[in-house]
Amino acid sequence: MRRTCNQMFYALWLGLGIMMPLIVLVGCGTTMVVTPDVKSTAGIDVRVRGRITYDGNREYLPRTVVDYPAGESGLAFQYTYEVIHGKDGVPQILPLFNPLTIVGFPIGEDTVVIVGRLEISKKNHAVKTYTATSSLDKMRNIFWQGETFSELRRKGLIAVRDNIESQMNRDRELLSGLEPGD
Amino acid sequence: MRQLIIRIATCLTCVFLIVGCATLGPIYQKTDKIQEGMGLVYIYRPSGFTGGGVSYNVKVGDTVITTLYNGGYYPYFAKPGELELWAKTEAKSAVTLDVRAGRTYYVKGTVGVGFLVGRPHLMVVPESVGETEIAGCKLIPDTSVEAQKQ
Repeated sequence: MRRTCNQMFYALWLGLGIMMPLIVLVGCGTTMVVTPDVKSTAGIDVRVRGRITYDGNREYLPRTVVDYPAGESGLAFQYTYEVIHGKDGVPQILPLFNPLTIVGFPIGEDTVVIVGRLEISKKNHAVKTYTATSSLDKMRNIFWQGETFSELRRKGLIAVRDNIESQMNRDRELLSGLEPGD
Repeated sequence: MRQLIIRIATCLTCVFLIVGCATLGPIYQKTDKIQEGMGLVYIYRPSGFTGGGVSYNVKVGDTVITTLYNGGYYPYFAKPGELELWAKTEAKSAVTLDVRAGRTYYVKGTVGVGFLVGRPHLMVVPESVGETEIAGCKLIPDTSVEAQKQ
């Protein structure tokens, strides 16, 4: 009888030992969804030259467009993006009194949604518009804080840039036809 | 002996209550004029029970721009471009804004659960939310930053 009790006791601790790290790990990491779903390309297959209207960080600008204000093609690009920070829906009073907090139950959530838009026009007529959206979601727990909003934003902006580049690579025939003589 | 323990406990309680408190200035009033060629970022922390005694420095790069107290706010004028605000206790929180001249932004600070001390959490909120939540906050004087630097 006593031996059975001991075995059950050890089994319980073993179960807890396995479950606790699992609980901690669940929710760790960042999930990112990028739309539209485009087959990503390894390199930049197309580069279109024209006048670029964009005053943000050049790192986030699709590399498929090249600033060439003196060009005769009349091509113009306008790149804009919007960053929306998600609401932390977990009131901080709850984790304070939640005993599961100490085993890694989520204590908060950070979400960032980024919408990027590249408008291509030729001689003031809209030719094509590319849009991409990235949505990033991250749960925090007491053991894992994860990426900051700044890091999520950067990750999302680069994902949006890459997605637009892939869309443009897909349309390379159309885009290469916009530049006369090239 | 028992009385001594009670006295020490009382003193410690008082110390913990006082730490993190600061003399805050007048209640929030919207700044009428934004400096030319600059953007305005309101950094605020609504008054709350959780982590009420915890305050933390909000920095741009290595420069402390304010110490964020419970129920306080601080108007920060920033040059146009990317601006990263961050704070750290036992964990780091950081937000990045695209500041444009003449525009107003709201960054909300809270304190979350931590092992030893509350963790700062900064987030950018829409103007409509920020304007409502900041209404009850009081101005954090610049002297609080100077005190922290010393």
